[in-house]
Amino acid sequence: MINTDHIPQTEIAIQVQGISKSYGKIKALKGIDLQVKRGEIFGFLGPNGAGKTTTIRCMLDMIRPDGGKIMLLGVNPQIDPVAVQTKTGYLPGEMQYYDNMTSEAQLHFFNDMRGVRAKWSYVRELSERFALDLHQPIKNLSKGNKQKIGVIQALMHQPELLLLDEPTIGLDPLMQQEVMSLLREANEAGTTIFFSSHIMSEVESLAERVAIIRSGEIVELTNTEQLTHTTVNRISIRFKRPSDYSGLAKLPGVEILSHADQTNLTLQVTGDMELLIRSLGNLPVYDLKTEHLSLEEVFLTYYKK
Amino acid sequence: MNSLWTTFRYTYRHLLWQVIGWGFGLALYGLMIVPMYKSMSAEADRFQQLIASYPPEVLAFFGADATSPLTPAGFLGMYAFSMLPIIVGIFAVIAGSGLIVSDEEHGRLDLIIAHPIGRRAFFWGRTLGLIGATLSIMVLGWLGFNLLMVRSGLGFTWGQMAIPFLTLLVQVLVFTSLALMLSLLLPSRNLAAMVSGALLVISYVVSSISFMDSRLEMISKALPYHYYQSVMSLEQLNPIWISALLGISAAMIMISFACFTHRDIRLSGEGSWRRR
Repeated sequence: MINTDHIPQTEIAIQVQGISKSYGKIKALKGIDLQVKRGEIFGFLGPNGAGKTTTIRCMLDMIRPDGGKIMLLGVNPQIDPVAVQTKTGYLPGEMQYYDNMTSEAQLHFFNDMRGVRAKWSYVRELSERFALDLHQPIKNLSKGNKQKIGVIQALMHQPELLLLDEPTIGLDPLMQQEVMSLLREANEAGTTIFFSSHIMSEVESLAERVAIIRSGEIVELTNTEQLTHTTVNRISIRFKRPSDYSGLAKLPGVEILSHADQTNLTLQVTGDMELLIRSLGNLPVYDLKTEHLSLEEVFLTYYKK
Repeated sequence: MNSLWTTFRYTYRHLLWQVIGWGFGLALYGLMIVPMYKSMSAEADRFQQLIASYPPEVLAFFGADATSPLTPAGFLGMYAFSMLPIIVGIFAVIAGSGLIVSDEEHGRLDLIIAHPIGRRAFFWGRTLGLIGATLSIMVLGWLGFNLLMVRSGLGFTWGQMAIPFLTLLVQVLVFTSLALMLSLLLPSRNLAAMVSGALLVISYVVSSISFMDSRLEMISKALPYHYYQSVMSLEQLNPIWISALLGISAAMIMISFACFTHRDIRLSGEGSWRRR
C-alpha cells in the first residue's frame, strides 16, 4: 500500500476513512480507506457487487454510510452535499433519462439543475466528438448513445472532480478511446478523476493509482505500474532432468499453477522473488521465463482469493 | 432558491399534459352539466318522481335526498361535486405517489440528485410543482363550470363557484400528500398508490352511506371525505374543517420531507428501508 499520510490536506481531493455500509445483514462496505490526490487519475477496480458503486454513492451523499468519514475537495458531503456536487461531475453506472426528451433537452435539464454553468459551445463540441445527434429523442437512442449523453453531462461544466462509475460501459472501442482521451484532456486541465471499472486495459492505460475492492474491502492500493509490473509474475521453468520441486510451493507468495511432469513447472509469484531464486539455485534449471502479468490477470488473482 | 425554482418549473412542465387532460376534462364536464339544469328545471315534476324512485342508498352516494337535486346547489352536488373528489383523487394518487419515487424506481433520481440542488430544494420544488398543477386543474375546472353559468339558471357568481372548488382542492391535497408520504414510507410506488387509492374509495363509500348505519358514522368521522363540504360550502363554509384538512396535508408533507432528506436514495431495483 502507498502511504499518502504525508500529503497536505489541501492537496487531497478525496479522503475516505473507514466507511462502512450495511444493507440489513449484508455488509456492502467494511471500512474502506482511500486517499486521492488533486489532479490524480484513480482507478477503482472490482468485480460486480464488490462495493464500487456504493462507495461512489456515499461520496455524493446519495447513501449515508453507517460509519467512517468522507471528505471531497475539503468538504464533508454529508454536511454540505451541494458544495461538493457543485464541483463534481458524476456518471452513474446505469444511465436512465426521460425518454421523451431529446438529448439536447435532457442536457439542458441537467445544466439548469446545475444552475446553468456549462458553455453550450463546449457541449456541442463534445457531442460532435462523440458523433451524437442532440436532436434525437432519447427513446430512439442505443445504449451506447445514452452513455455518451451521460459522459457529456458529467464533463460539460468542466468540474474539479469527476466521479465516474464504469464510464465506457456500452461504448464501442472507438468511442471508448474517445472517452479516454477526453478524460486525459480533462485531467491535463486539472480535473481529478476517480473512476470505477472492470475493464483492466482502461485502468491500465488511464489510472496513475488503483485500488482493488473485493467484498467491501480494499485488497490492494498501489501505483498501476507497480501493480502491473512488479507485484505478480508468472514464471515458467524447465529442468534438465526430473526434479523434486515441491519445496518451492512452500515459499511465501509462490503458487504452483501447473506441473505437467517433473521437468516443466509454471509458478505465480506475488511480491519478492529473492527466496525463489535462491531455492532454484539448488535445482537443475535449464530454462526460465518470467512474464509480467497484465492488470487483468493481477486483478483476477485478487478476485480469486 | 434558484434550484427550488428550477425543480418547480420542470415538475410543473412534466405534469403539464396531466394538467391539460384533467383540467380540460373537468372543464368540459362543467360545460356539459351546468346547462342541463335549465332543461331539468323545466321538467321538475317528472324529474322529482324519477328521483323519488331511486333507492336512498343510491342517492346517498351522490350526497343527495329526494328533493335536493332540484335546487341549484343540490343539482351541482349530485351531478358533479359529490363525485369529483374520486375523479380528481385518481390524479392525486397517481401524481402524489410518483412525485419522487417514480424517478427513483426508474433509476433517474440518482443522477438528478447528484446535481447541486440539495434534497431540501428538490423536495419542495417538486411538491410545490404538484400543488401548482393541482391548483391549475381546479382553476380550469372552475372556468368550465362558470362559462355557461349565466344561461343555466343556477344563479351562482364566479366567486361563489370558487368555494366548492376550494373544498375540492383541499380534499384532493389530502390524498396527494397521503400518496406522497406512503410512497416514501413503503417499499414501492405501486403499493403506495394502491393503499392511498383504496383509502380514497373507502373514504368515499363509508362517508356516503354512513347516515344509514350509526356504526359507520364513527368510522366516517375518521375519514377525510366526511369533512368534504362540497356544495354545502355555498351556504356556509366551515373554515375549521378546511384548516384541519390542510393541517393534516401539511403534516403528511412534512413527514415525507423528513423521510426523503434522511433516507438513502435507492437505485432501481433496490428495496432499502434504511435510514440514518
